[in-house]
Amino acid sequence: MGDFTRRGFIATGLAATAAVAAACAGSGSGGGASNSGNGGGGGDITLRFLSNHPGSSKATEQALIDEFQKANAGIKVELLDGGKNYEQVAQKFQTSLSGGEKPDIVVVSDVTWFNFALNKQIAPLDDLFAGAGLKPEEYVDSLLADTKFDGKHYAVPFARSTPLFYYNKDVWKKAGLEDRGPKDWDEFAQWASRIQEAIGGDKKALVIADGENYIDWAFEGWNWSKGGAYSDGWDLKFTSPETIAAANQLKDVIGKWGRVVTTPENDFGAGLAAATVQSTGSLKTITSTAKFELGTAFLPGPAGKSCPTGGAGVAVTEAISAERKAAAVKFIEFLTNTNNTSKFSQATGYMPVRKAAVDEPTMKAFIEKNPNFGTAVKQLPLTRSQDNARVFVPGGGEDIGKALQQIATGGDTAAILGALQKTIQGKIDSQIKPKLPK
Amino acid sequence: MKVLGYAGMVLTLLLVAVPVYFIVITSFKDRPDIFVSPATWWPPTWYPENYSYVTQEIPYWQYLRNSAIITLVTGSIKFVLGVSTAYALVFLRFPFKKLLFLVVIAALMVPNQITVISNYALMADYRNTFVGIILPLAGVAFGTFLMRNHFLSLPKEIVEAARMDGAGHLRLLFRVILPVSIPTMVAFAVITLVNEWNEYLWPFLMSDNAAVAPLPVGLTLLQNTEQGVNWGPVMAATLLTALPMLVVFLILQRQMIKGLTSGAVKG
Repeated sequence: MGDFTRRGFIATGLAATAAVAAACAGSGSGGGASNSGNGGGGGDITLRFLSNHPGSSKATEQALIDEFQKANAGIKVELLDGGKNYEQVAQKFQTSLSGGEKPDIVVVSDVTWFNFALNKQIAPLDDLFAGAGLKPEEYVDSLLADTKFDGKHYAVPFARSTPLFYYNKDVWKKAGLEDRGPKDWDEFAQWASRIQEAIGGDKKALVIADGENYIDWAFEGWNWSKGGAYSDGWDLKFTSPETIAAANQLKDVIGKWGRVVTTPENDFGAGLAAATVQSTGSLKTITSTAKFELGTAFLPGPAGKSCPTGGAGVAVTEAISAERKAAAVKFIEFLTNTNNTSKFSQATGYMPVRKAAVDEPTMKAFIEKNPNFGTAVKQLPLTRSQDNARVFVPGGGEDIGKALQQIATGGDTAAILGALQKTIQGKIDSQIKPKLPK
Repeated sequence: MKVLGYAGMVLTLLLVAVPVYFIVITSFKDRPDIFVSPATWWPPTWYPENYSYVTQEIPYWQYLRNSAIITLVTGSIKFVLGVSTAYALVFLRFPFKKLLFLVVIAALMVPNQITVISNYALMADYRNTFVGIILPLAGVAFGTFLMRNHFLSLPKEIVEAARMDGAGHLRLLFRVILPVSIPTMVAFAVITLVNEWNEYLWPFLMSDNAAVAPLPVGLTLLQNTEQGVNWGPVMAATLLTALPMLVVFLILQRQMIKGLTSGAVKG
């Protein structure tokens, strides 16, 4: 090594640099090759299903996949881990579109699917329904209508949930109230001082999520029940008098008898509050932590105008071959058929997505043993699709959540809603309007 | 004066130790006991089943094995690259040396997350393999910087003496420079190992299942979107994950502190 001359060294260095540059240029074009792999030649297709396993459902998903593979020779399904929540699986999906083999089926939530549809990253599915034996009318109407855009459906309901009104029956009894949920938020406001007295101490009558944990979702139904809305189609309604009045009621109730927290199901389950609005998905958690008798009820408000949908569906990637898309929809139909949605629902606490599932025998028995779950299922036909401003605008939910948190903790309602309207309108004008089909 | 010093020490100790203590006791609590007000500082009932839950619910040992592989391989590559690059920048003469060093430093300023998409496009064929995870992580700017500065601080007499004795590059590196640089090397090694152990974003994007996913990615299976997290097992998993790195640090800590403070005191 000692007589490795300086000239020799510099020459080697230049050669190495050139080789690296050539390799980078070469692999750059090679890396762009897309899903040639398994599609060609009519052999087995292996579908790739990217999921965040909502509700700790990895074992359930795998069991359903095994059954599907048994019944469908020639189609295999590989289950991929997508992280811990809907945002992470969306991030992973987005990254995977930049190269290599893309996942064929992906879990998309109520707030992530629209961006993918608008940018043509997930495929419209209606033409593929017939080939897979999927009948749209068998699905719960509001759930399927949620993912309709420009007349086409972009996702099929999979792990769907709604908010639910949870209350502490022991505190209700102590306050001398009937054992039911309030029929609307005005009635709750009337009851609140009695509930507060009954629960006493530093505890509150109502606890609600903060901006990071979907207060915008919990408040959506409340807003509707008072005649307000986040938006009507693409017209924003944040500054309408009804919305402002509803937001003021939120501020009033939380200010006097409530609290804004990160995990309302934990506070409620620990007995620190007498009521909360939280996802039906939290039912298992609350039931296992609560040391009191748990009651559930529909969200307060008139039927059909008080409860939004939520959760996630499954979508099919656009940039894959037609053969793979057809196989993917076949799998999706199996995943969400009556028996399987009943199984999935019982295992995870998400809602059954087919109308017939409530009459399925194991589901009937399950509802009898778990009447609180039955409340959520009975509320399902009364749900309404969410407002565009929350689910279609990128970051819309977060913006609304931030604003609502400020209002609930004492901010100036009209000013905050006015600023929110401007922000959301700006996003719509710059990011969505140019891409909407004329 | 001494009292103030001790008071400061105790305060810092509390700031760090109290949350860690809380993690430890929460890992032994059953679910209903975790969220109570006022908080309990001793588990009302001991529930070590959280630990068996962690190892049974998820393929914990596989994730541990993957983490060990990724950390050790990436750490070794980074270490070798860092030391050799630093050596070249200090002891070799070639054109554009200063420019090269500036480019390497500039890389320090670019956060991991920015290069994720372009890396993914490049490595897409190696998805869900160890190669795919390790290769983009193996580039090291921090180590180069650290070792280069350390090498520059070595007294010239040692190098000259070795040269006069006829040492070539390899002998100079292994017999003279490295033995003197052990504290800095250890500091570099520990920081690199801990960083690789905790790496989340890149392994998350690259791995699809338990075949290659490391612990931070695998533990997300214990967390949930809408149902609320069961914190007992998550705390237990956190402790189990932190343990190996804790052991590494305890073994090497004396050398590491020497390495980080070397040059602060002359002689």
